[in-house]
Amino acid sequence: MDIDDLLAEVSADAVPRETRDLQELTRAWVAERVAPELLPHPEALMERVLGRIRKQIELVEDQTGNMDPRANFTLIVVQTELERFKFLVRSFLRARIKKIDTHPLHTLNQHAASTATSAPLLSTAEYQYLTQHQALLSQHYATSFLGQFPAALQQLDDTTGISMVDKPDEDAAVFCRALREVGEVFVEGTEKRFEIKRGDVWVVRWSVVRDWVRSGDVELI
Amino acid sequence: MYGEIANKLVQHAKRTQSLAHLPPYQTEMIRAVTREVRDLDKDVAAILEPFAGSFDPSTEPASACALLVNHLCMRRNKRCLLAYHRVRSDKLEELCWSGIDVLERQQQQQQQQQQQQANKAGGEGTATMGVDGNSSSLSPEEEEYVRQYSDLLSAYKGQWTDIDLTGSLEPPKDLFIDVRVLKDAGEIQTEYGAITLTKNSQFYVRQGDVERLISQGYLQRLS
Repeated sequence: MDIDDLLAEVSADAVPRETRDLQELTRAWVAERVAPELLPHPEALMERVLGRIRKQIELVEDQTGNMDPRANFTLIVVQTELERFKFLVRSFLRARIKKIDTHPLHTLNQHAASTATSAPLLSTAEYQYLTQHQALLSQHYATSFLGQFPAALQQLDDTTGISMVDKPDEDAAVFCRALREVGEVFVEGTEKRFEIKRGDVWVVRWSVVRDWVRSGDVELI
Repeated sequence: MYGEIANKLVQHAKRTQSLAHLPPYQTEMIRAVTREVRDLDKDVAAILEPFAGSFDPSTEPASACALLVNHLCMRRNKRCLLAYHRVRSDKLEELCWSGIDVLERQQQQQQQQQQQQANKAGGEGTATMGVDGNSSSLSPEEEEYVRQYSDLLSAYKGQWTDIDLTGSLEPPKDLFIDVRVLKDAGEIQTEYGAITLTKNSQFYVRQGDVERLISQGYLQRLS
């Protein structure tokens, strides 16, 4: 830890919670849209943001009858902000659902592995959606054709031979920026070694920077 | 040839991806591929029968090779079938998300076709009747799937009532927008009072209030 880190911590505390949440949400939204893999669901952040959205909606509903032009103007500002927040959350959730739908079984396995840790991959709602959707799909397959197959071929998650469980491309390239000092990074399977310094922008394989993105040392852009 | 029909099915799926609508379900092909899989499975059983469970691939290379080919073909057919169905169900899900009632549209299409047929039949006699009586492009299983998926989707959406998950994915720029009414949509309630939407009139309204109507085609956004 050097002077920069200390300064960063001090200034982070000076910024109000709301602003930091917005920043976090934006960051999570960008990361979710860029990363090839599903990222852990930011439970606490989402709760705070949704709570605030609810409060703002109530405020708007309360104030609508007010005919004072000045109140009306603030109301418009509040509503504009509200629409933007809603957009962020909506786009964020949709990006997640899209990934969940593309790799359902893989996500399910990963989620099962992550429930014991402090950062589960899916929220409860997402988990419900995933399992129900999967049940629907397999039922659909079964009634359409799979039911008439020999019993040995009826599974959907067969891993003998070519694995049927599709995985996202973890070696896809991502653009990222270092928020803190990361140090030396080694790309597996190649001879590449390089150092990521604070403020650096790199194009690297997702699998290399994954852990730092999760810990918040590196952000995706 | 082994796997030939399945190949056609995959080509179908590939074409489906770039189409706006869903082409008719290939019931015949699906059946043919499934039959092929069952026949192959019978073949496998027939090859293995004389060995009574004690088959050793190294002593019987010819049978082992036949078995391998059969197994691979079965697996391949299965993958092709899965891919075909997945592409179609993805497409259906997409329609669900964009708020289009797939089943209703299907019915409308069917009715139109039936009407056309009825008109034709009136001129040329009744020979064409009943040939394409059931021309829905969805299989009954798919219809069921769509029904259940829309239920699932609305249940999931219900947890985020404030956000409206199926709303626009374009970043919002203006709170208020100009819209023109394309079809009579009756009266809607907004925070600024009720507006009656009559055809060809123009309004300056809050985007959130009319988003649904725009996606349903009642209103057109003027930029």
